[in-house]
Amino acid sequence: MLEWARFLLCAALLAAGLFFLLTALLGVNRFRFVINRLHPAGIGDTLGLLLLSLAAVVYAGFDQVTVKILCIVTFFWITSPVCTHLIGRLVRETDKKQFEAEAKEWKS
Amino acid sequence: MSKQKRDAFSGLLNWLENGDDALSDQMQDTLSDDERAANVPLKKASAKKRKKKNADARRKKNENETAASWTDRWWYKLLAAALCVSLIALLLFAALRLPKFGGAETLIDSDLTRFYVEHTKVETGAMNIVTGIILDYRGFDTLGESHVLFIALCGVLLLLSIYGEKDEKLRLLADARDRNFEPKNDLILQCAARILTPIVFVFGVYIILNGHLSPGGGFSGGAVLGAGLILYQNAFGYKKIQRFFTYKTFRAVSVCALLFYSLAKGYHFFTGANHLESGIGTGTPGDILSGGLLLPLNIAVGCVVACTMYGLYTMFRKGEF
Repeated sequence: MLEWARFLLCAALLAAGLFFLLTALLGVNRFRFVINRLHPAGIGDTLGLLLLSLAAVVYAGFDQVTVKILCIVTFFWITSPVCTHLIGRLVRETDKKQFEAEAKEWKS
Repeated sequence: MSKQKRDAFSGLLNWLENGDDALSDQMQDTLSDDERAANVPLKKASAKKRKKKNADARRKKNENETAASWTDRWWYKLLAAALCVSLIALLLFAALRLPKFGGAETLIDSDLTRFYVEHTKVETGAMNIVTGIILDYRGFDTLGESHVLFIALCGVLLLLSIYGEKDEKLRLLADARDRNFEPKNDLILQCAARILTPIVFVFGVYIILNGHLSPGGGFSGGAVLGAGLILYQNAFGYKKIQRFFTYKTFRAVSVCALLFYSLAKGYHFFTGANHLESGIGTGTPGDILSGGLLLPLNIAVGCVVACTMYGLYTMFRKGEF
């Protein structure tokens, strides 16, 4: 019974993580402007990775490896948003015309 | 302000306003003054025209974006989808047939593999068989790899470096280019870097020093160290990183590391090319100070890789350390 619960939990986490990665993939390919593309890309790197790692933790059980996996997740949760922020700032500084046009379009 | 500097600054402002078209104007320093006077307005006009043309073309392209190109044909999409699906199927099939991870006898399917598995630990004193192989049995290969990295960096230095550049303008332009395109003094990045850089450095050193005991070694550890250097430079700028890592440091570290490795390898050829000979014994496998020359060689490779990573980054960014 416990085994089944664990398996189902693992499968659910895996499916959810893959779903978020898939949305990231689709979003990056479908959107047309950098800032819009950053949004799904950020989701894939944070939420998708967290769910997949949790699935791995549930599948393998809690031991020393769990700590390592959590370290990786923490690292990604610190770095990935910073990356997204930097790319956004770079776009804003270098492509002012396009940026303002897009902003106007989204406001209206 | 001297005349030359003033010229440089006006050119810089021109470039900042007009982008790369003005840069090509800047490059015409070989022309005499009269020629330049005749040429520059003409060039500027043509640049403006070119710009307008580009903008027109872009607008036209945007309008035509929905029009049919050959990537919109149905067979193209079908072929692309079929290719992707067959590739995925192939990879999944291959993944299914991989030997079980950590299995005791799955790997031994040839005499060579059996030899390595049985002898590496005794002969080289490395717990990590891979390190034993790449730094001892196949040390010559690894020597070539580290030289390839170094030579690649030499080529980039030749092409992009602004050291010894007599022309003040080019230096200023490089500075301006750097300042224009990279976000400077980003508070968020600095906070993240303050937390992460020490961890990254310690982790890189750990991977290098533990290379003969656990997965890792010079190449991966050096890559981590180089990434740490790049992160630090990105967050805090050239002035801060020049306190401990300059062109001089780079030269000294990479040349010393490569020389050490080459000398060790040359001695090994001299003594019959059987093993990586050294006066150091192999010690107890599993200790941090064991494995003879493996640990110093790992450190040398790590230094070369870290310097090369950072060097490539900074050369492509500004052309200066």
